[in-house]
Amino acid sequence: MSDVPAQPAQPRAARPPRPRRGATPWVIGIVLAAITVWAARGVQIDIPAIWQNFSNASGTLMQLFQPDYGFFPQTLSAIEETLMMAVIATAIGSLGSVPLAFLASRATNPSRALLAAIRFLNNVIRAVPDLLYAAVFVAVVGTGALSGVLALFFFNIGILVKLVSESLDGLDRGPQEAALAAGGTWFAADRVSMLPSVAPSFASQVLYTFEVNIRASTVIGLVGAGGLGVLIDNVRTFYHYHYLSLIILEILVLVLVVETASSMLRKQLAR
Amino acid sequence: MTTPTAIPAGKAVPPPRPSRLWVRAGWTAVLLVVLAAFWRVNIDWSQLSDFVPSLFHYLRLMFCPPAWSQTSAAFSATILSVQMAWIGSILGILISFPLSFLAARNVVPVWVRLPVRLVLAILRAVPEVVIAILILSVTGLTAWTGALALGIGSIGTLGKWGYESFESVSGGPLEAARATGGSRLAVIRWGLWPQAQPEVLAFWLYRFEISVRSSAILGLIGAGGIGKMLSDNTQYQNWNVVGILLIVVVVVTMIIDQISAVLRQRLITGRWALVGYGARRKALTPTGLA
Amino acid sequence: MTDRRPGTAGDPQIVFDGVGVTYPNGYRGLSDISLTIPAGQMVGVVGLSGAGKSTFVRTINGLVTATEGSLTVNGRDVTTARGKQLRAVRSDIGMVFQGFNLTGRTTVLNNVLMGRLYSAPWWRTLLGAWKSDDVELAMDALTRVEIVQKAYTRASELSGGQQQRVGIARALAQQPSIILADEPVASLDPPTSHVVMEHLRRINGELGVTVITNLHFLDLARKYSDRLLGLRGGHVVFDGTGADADETVFESIYGRSLTGEDVLDATPNLETS
Repeated sequence: MSDVPAQPAQPRAARPPRPRRGATPWVIGIVLAAITVWAARGVQIDIPAIWQNFSNASGTLMQLFQPDYGFFPQTLSAIEETLMMAVIATAIGSLGSVPLAFLASRATNPSRALLAAIRFLNNVIRAVPDLLYAAVFVAVVGTGALSGVLALFFFNIGILVKLVSESLDGLDRGPQEAALAAGGTWFAADRVSMLPSVAPSFASQVLYTFEVNIRASTVIGLVGAGGLGVLIDNVRTFYHYHYLSLIILEILVLVLVVETASSMLRKQLAR
Repeated sequence: MTTPTAIPAGKAVPPPRPSRLWVRAGWTAVLLVVLAAFWRVNIDWSQLSDFVPSLFHYLRLMFCPPAWSQTSAAFSATILSVQMAWIGSILGILISFPLSFLAARNVVPVWVRLPVRLVLAILRAVPEVVIAILILSVTGLTAWTGALALGIGSIGTLGKWGYESFESVSGGPLEAARATGGSRLAVIRWGLWPQAQPEVLAFWLYRFEISVRSSAILGLIGAGGIGKMLSDNTQYQNWNVVGILLIVVVVVTMIIDQISAVLRQRLITGRWALVGYGARRKALTPTGLA
Repeated sequence: MTDRRPGTAGDPQIVFDGVGVTYPNGYRGLSDISLTIPAGQMVGVVGLSGAGKSTFVRTINGLVTATEGSLTVNGRDVTTARGKQLRAVRSDIGMVFQGFNLTGRTTVLNNVLMGRLYSAPWWRTLLGAWKSDDVELAMDALTRVEIVQKAYTRASELSGGQQQRVGIARALAQQPSIILADEPVASLDPPTSHVVMEHLRRINGELGVTVITNLHFLDLARKYSDRLLGLRGGHVVFDGTGADADETVFESIYGRSLTGEDVLDATPNLETS
């Protein structure tokens, strides 16, 4: 039997001092509030404007709930172009990302300098959003699907190199060590050990990229890069909200179908 | 008693090669789709031969040298984009936070959860630019419109990450809170929230990073900020201004990413550390992202 | 500690009358339980896993609803209680869990304050603005299980035995008249198990709290109980003192004779915590 005092209600002095959290929570709160006020002034928050303009806008917005299905045949070629841009960009993006991903992983690239350079370059590529690429490429090669495919290509490289190199980082490096011990070069070792190990997650990430591409390729047309976005730009200029409504519905269906199919396939891959 | 079967001498019989019919059919289908896309798409691939030289041509126009004189203008435009992203994130957090509770399996019954999840799924599927175009008709071409669009656009993802982290908490503390006689609110506050809090806060920051990128896009349709300056200057072929704009966007985005990654690392692991890029940062992102 | 409501020792406190539990999937958890537990008793519940031990203690605070019969605790009917009534019943019953069920990411003190969730107003629980009386109660509970020095430590930083003591403190902070312990030592090593059981026994002895403990190990149950209940297939097959429980009784509970796996250890060691 352990000898504990019978009446353990000890004096308060036996208690630990309450740790001083000091001013930290207050400082965090004030900093967050200050940033919010600063940002609110910057964007000129105008809540009354929403209510004031809502009555004017409600008529046009109501058109959103009445899609004009008669417009559907005219959207078919744009949908097809959107899909094709996404497919092509995913194909070339995934092929192009493989060597870069291997160079961007600590596990497969023994040269620290090259690793840092590739990672920095990829961070730069990733920092530019898809529509900015599209805007620049439209200026370089003209409007149309080519600028869209090129924009998506760079966008995909950014995503895939990051995701795949992270998967490579997380792999078990035993097989690679075995291949190196057998006298293989780094290239040969990565080819026979790391590539097969990373293949399932690579496939899953390519599918994810395809989802992202579908979403992006519906809108890059807004700056002239082909696909549904071109149509959106046309109908919104003329405030044809019945048409816009149909296009949004199409985007919804397209995105949800592709996402559902892709996530089912990815679940299969994860097994 | 059995005796071991004699091993037949001669050629070893390899097991039959496993049938990979489905895998092969799948790959063939993928290949066909890709080939069809290449064949059908309205692209003159011969243009690509000019692409590399002309890309270098334009890169030279942009960056040799960029219009340094425009640096402060580019910087203030980028700041406006960041402000849009911040306000958008605050709005998105305020709206998505209650919704994510209303979509969590361990908080509400199915008839509450399903409609909320449907709304979140639709909001995720509509691109932010499209949301912005719709809001334009209400609030006009302003940065405020952009912030609203980012806010509405982020509700879908934030709500999903929220209910996913609520659902992944361990049930033990919930049972303990129930056993003390706590109300539903008390169970959520003291059983569920302390477990999910670090991830949820980290996801808020992560969503802000995404919104910073998206805010640059919204400018392209006129919502102000860096995107607007960029589309104005590409239109008039002021390439050296485009160059400085790209530099500022990339630098600001990378700085914000790094700050956010350090804060997220602190929230989740409780330690201050520089977060490189690789497996460690991956651990800080929501599971829905591949 | 004041305001304790243990009832007069010996008065019937928990009354099972023909209680049965059938789960929604048709599984029969408990059948025809009729017994009375007087205030201040230390009860050990033994049986194989799946015998219904866990269901038995969970019906007492309504975490599992009895589907047949009636169950009264301190004069209140648990089987029909819903909402606020049920929470009132639960607030009088502390519970200690096998997996401790602490929130590892918050402090020990916050975990113990969860014991005050019923009595504090909702806005105080929402904001975490506890009254100093509640904090005082929590600190007192931690003092009783000798872990008050860790009050401001994150719960996840404690060892298993320390976490279970925090679990007991959380139950104590409710100022309960009954404590239910569901396999409280199943995740602990033998010396630590004895420390935890000692604390439960002391709470029973000093505060007069009725303690009902599910235990896998027979020797622990015999050592730390006034009364032993043996469950098998959802039925009570033994109800008596540890001294009454001989080899035939064990066979009736376990369906086989006693083996080394049914006892914790031969020489209890109380040094470590």
